[in-house]
Amino acid sequence: MADPAETRAGGREPFTYALASLAAVLVAMIFFFPIYWSLSTSLRNPMDTFTVVGLGIPWIHFEPTLANWIEQAFTPETRQALANSTIIAGLASLLALALGTPAAYALARFRYRLVSGRDITIWFLSQRILPPVAVVIPFYLMMRAVGLLDTHLALILVNATFVLPFVVVIVRQTFLDLPVELEEQAMVDGCGHVSAFWRIALPLAAPSIAATGLIIFAFTWNEFIFALTIASKEAITVPVHMAGAIDTRGVQFWFMAVRAMIAMIPPVLIALIAQRYIVRGLTLGAVKG
Amino acid sequence: MRRHGHVLNGTMTALALTAVLYGPQAGAGEHVDWNDDGTVTLKLGPEYDDRRITVPQEQLGALFGPEEQPFEDVTISVTVNGAGPNGGISGPLYSFRPIWEELSGGKVEIVELPFAEHYTKMMLDLRNGTGQYDAFMVGAFWYGDIAPAGYGFEIGELMDSGDFPQWSYDVMPPSLKTLHHWGDAAYGVLNDADGQVLYYRRSVLEDPEHQAAFKAEYGYDMPVPPATWQQLLDISKYFNGKNWDEHDAEPDSGTVLHLKVGEQGHYHFQSLSASFVVNPGDAVDRTHNVYWFDPTDMTPLINGPGHVKALEFLQALHETGPAAQVGWSLGEAWDYFLRGKAVFVYSWGDVGALCQDESRSVVRGDCASAQLPGSDEYYDMTRKEFVAADPPNVVGNTTGGSWHGVVSNFSANPEAAYSFLALMAIEPVSKMMAMYGWDGVDPGFSYQFLEKDGGTAKVEDYVAAGWDAKDAEDYTHAYKELFYAPTSLTYLRIPGSFEYWDILDKNLSAAMSGSKTAQQALDDTAAAWEPVTKRIGRESQLKDYQEAIGYAP
Amino acid sequence: MRWTSRIRFLFLMPAVLWVLAFTVFPLGYSLYLSFVKIDQTTSVTRVKEPVLDEAGQPVLKSDGTPRTRNVVIKDQTNVTTFVGWNNFARMRSDPQLHEAIRVSLVFVFVAVPLELVLGFLLAVLFNRKLFGRPFFRTVMILPIFATPIAVAYSFFTIFYEEGGPLGWTGVPWLSDPGWALFSVILVDIWQWTPFCFLVFLAALQGVPDELIEAARIDGAGALDLLWRILLPVLQPTIVIVLLLRLAEALKLFDIPFAMTGGGPGVATQPYSLFAFRTGLRFFDLGYASAMAFVLLIVVSIVVTLFFRRLRQTYG
Repeated sequence: MADPAETRAGGREPFTYALASLAAVLVAMIFFFPIYWSLSTSLRNPMDTFTVVGLGIPWIHFEPTLANWIEQAFTPETRQALANSTIIAGLASLLALALGTPAAYALARFRYRLVSGRDITIWFLSQRILPPVAVVIPFYLMMRAVGLLDTHLALILVNATFVLPFVVVIVRQTFLDLPVELEEQAMVDGCGHVSAFWRIALPLAAPSIAATGLIIFAFTWNEFIFALTIASKEAITVPVHMAGAIDTRGVQFWFMAVRAMIAMIPPVLIALIAQRYIVRGLTLGAVKG
Repeated sequence: MRRHGHVLNGTMTALALTAVLYGPQAGAGEHVDWNDDGTVTLKLGPEYDDRRITVPQEQLGALFGPEEQPFEDVTISVTVNGAGPNGGISGPLYSFRPIWEELSGGKVEIVELPFAEHYTKMMLDLRNGTGQYDAFMVGAFWYGDIAPAGYGFEIGELMDSGDFPQWSYDVMPPSLKTLHHWGDAAYGVLNDADGQVLYYRRSVLEDPEHQAAFKAEYGYDMPVPPATWQQLLDISKYFNGKNWDEHDAEPDSGTVLHLKVGEQGHYHFQSLSASFVVNPGDAVDRTHNVYWFDPTDMTPLINGPGHVKALEFLQALHETGPAAQVGWSLGEAWDYFLRGKAVFVYSWGDVGALCQDESRSVVRGDCASAQLPGSDEYYDMTRKEFVAADPPNVVGNTTGGSWHGVVSNFSANPEAAYSFLALMAIEPVSKMMAMYGWDGVDPGFSYQFLEKDGGTAKVEDYVAAGWDAKDAEDYTHAYKELFYAPTSLTYLRIPGSFEYWDILDKNLSAAMSGSKTAQQALDDTAAAWEPVTKRIGRESQLKDYQEAIGYAP
Repeated sequence: MRWTSRIRFLFLMPAVLWVLAFTVFPLGYSLYLSFVKIDQTTSVTRVKEPVLDEAGQPVLKSDGTPRTRNVVIKDQTNVTTFVGWNNFARMRSDPQLHEAIRVSLVFVFVAVPLELVLGFLLAVLFNRKLFGRPFFRTVMILPIFATPIAVAYSFFTIFYEEGGPLGWTGVPWLSDPGWALFSVILVDIWQWTPFCFLVFLAALQGVPDELIEAARIDGAGALDLLWRILLPVLQPTIVIVLLLRLAEALKLFDIPFAMTGGGPGVATQPYSLFAFRTGLRFFDLGYASAMAFVLLIVVSIVVTLFFRRLRQTYG
């Protein structure tokens, strides 16, 4: 893959190249530091938390230990939180994809008379912008009314709702980018609308839909305010579990660091897998990365 | 504490192995032995030094028995401030869970919640009536939101039935006893007793060189311990910035405070300001023995001249400690004192016990305690001016949560929940817990006080638990004085207490971090309290408040 | 195209109805809540019921009496009273709320522009051949997806004043009201500058080389290039990024919740956090709903301001 930037004028000068590369390394280090620091803290004895000097490099500045990890990572509460988050994020993402993909297809391909597809898309988009705090109280009361407090289902429903607009807007863009001729050809050949969608458009859009699924999985994983409100025991997710590392008498930095790492690893891994789609995804399809 | 955990696992394995090798004795369980002489031995883990507590069978109540598991298949869940299996208040639940499970056949789920979320989760459960939790380890300031609304389970009948582990309110000082009741109804199961006392470094204050230097600078002999807050401030100023402790080469501080917003920083202000504000008197009337509101119309008193002066004083005292303490929770501030970095800390009973734990503390044997000093002046609410107080105006306090169990009225198994809580309230258990620092359970009951203070404990008991004898004598005496003080700060326990305190806490934090003046912070507090009173209802608040402080209109 | 209307609606409607049910309905409910006051009364009765075994026979204790269990019958009634505009009127004279608004505004107007500018500068700077470029891109993706609560706690450790890695600076990162807000902003900048950077980088790579070369030949300096070529070409992207960042910034919750608890005082308590606590900690549901609704109106205004641009983008 030829990178257009590599052919730029600046790129050819070795001095600029070296300087820019050095700057890039520095910037990368700054942005990586907080994650690195958590990792480093998680490997220290509690006593070493704030006595380590320099960059806190294991073996050089302190003797690393896995004790915090062993003690925290395998407690029943941590495992339950991980299981809950996986179930909730997984099912919410699937649900949002199942509801959102046909809608996205419809908005990309069909015309609507009453309201234009474009405005419906923007309406979906504005739901994405909606501050969660504006609906958290009524949503809480609704879930209470139907007896769904502290259940996975409640969190699946709410998370699906919040990522659904994201799916609609992005996947619509994907379908728009596909050549419509293939589907038209299929319909000439006797396919129905549904099977044209199912057999032609969907497989072509599959990689992008999968990437969207991964991104919304990460969003749901990171979601805090609803989980904090809805979950009290059975449905506690990783971020809510994380918040429990503050103890009445102070912060247990060593455990907190372990939990922070456990919380961050899955979404970060996902982001790496879906790298190519990140820019497009996060700008809701407005910028093609 | 964390390494401790591994020792614990190792010992458990060893215990299990022993059991396999030698086989069980008759009536001997893993955690409970039913002895032939009619006593029962409860076997604790290494976090309590593998102690064995032997009590007569009757003390455990009629329900438990060698052949009886009265709560088979019952699961109860108890909420507690999150601190882990080796942490304050939550720790003992973990220690006694296996014992109770073996006695009862039931299961205990311990639900740890972050301090800031505990109240919220409890109230959500209670308001919804879901009954998901069977009991809560509450702070006494939540009673106003629990009891009048009918969310608490009255335990009087269960206590009297003789079926459950036996304990009594009679061991409590009156000031603590009221915290476990609402009106005449009993809700709280004895556990922790909170109140703030002063801890100081005995040897440092008594050092002749410092004594001489202090006198040269301030013109009077340094009193040990200080009798007034004003003296305490002078001493703090004198020691702040000097390296008077040889454990490190850095300069040390005067008084260390825990001021983190959203936690328990406001208690410092309560305990200190009490002696600037509370007018001693025989009865509770409009101007005597009041602190929070005017008991005739619920007008906040919190921005009165006494309160403001006290907050200005606290700001000055803060200058003699590390600046970062504005963001410190209890643990950070305590550790600072335990590491020998501050000459004073005034806080809960945990500190005295933690001083004895040499894995954390360098001050064992030099950790003296005293009742909080008084102020040499206070604001006379009748005359509307400051008056000198000689002797100083010493005011006792029960500030803090006095964290203890309350059974939920929505619990399907209130008996089981009560039984678990009561097991931890029997005398030998409660006495033991108060001696350990890590468990957060602090002393305040007669069997924890020494005989010379009218209690039943012996200093040898404390020494056997690893205490320095002098530290233990000071400590128990300080608490005895505190809880039986003639004048005491009234505890705010009306509906919305937590919200009133939350508002106060935020404003205090603003004052301590310098973004508001003392007057402004307390004026803002008073202004923000009014809508809360209005919302909950002024008339009902007035009634509850009068009842809570014992004011007869 | 010859699509039938039935399928057109079958495809679209589930998603539309779903969103309506789970956002528009709650919003309506929230509006209702903001005009009422709810008082709750509770009474509980407990009935002892014998425990039955699988065969339907009572289970006996060792003393021969039947084992019983409690059945809790609760009666909770909510009394709702209409309070008119009371809750909205309260917002005018609530110093805590005003402070929360101030915190949110400072945050939005400092953090968002800084992120855009920094992201843009980084994108311009690194839009060239670099050593380890894929690796660099990868590192810049991490902050965006790191769990905010975990990020907040990591930074809590980093900003810890006694011995944290930035302790040597002597800056009161979390204990001084002004600095604490700045620290919250810093965390947000850490988390979202990479987003701006990646998006602008992608957009820059879409700028045809010829355009730049032509400008160079015309003798344009670096600043000219920026003002005359890059900014106009990138303008649509900038607007979208601005909208998305504004929307996210108004939601600010997790970072102050975990890192500062809104303190010291209320110096880092943004609007969302205050509204949340009012409603779900102190159960002042009506007031919290009123606050939520006002926030919603503000967000709607912001979206409307961007509406024309959105129509072009999603045309």
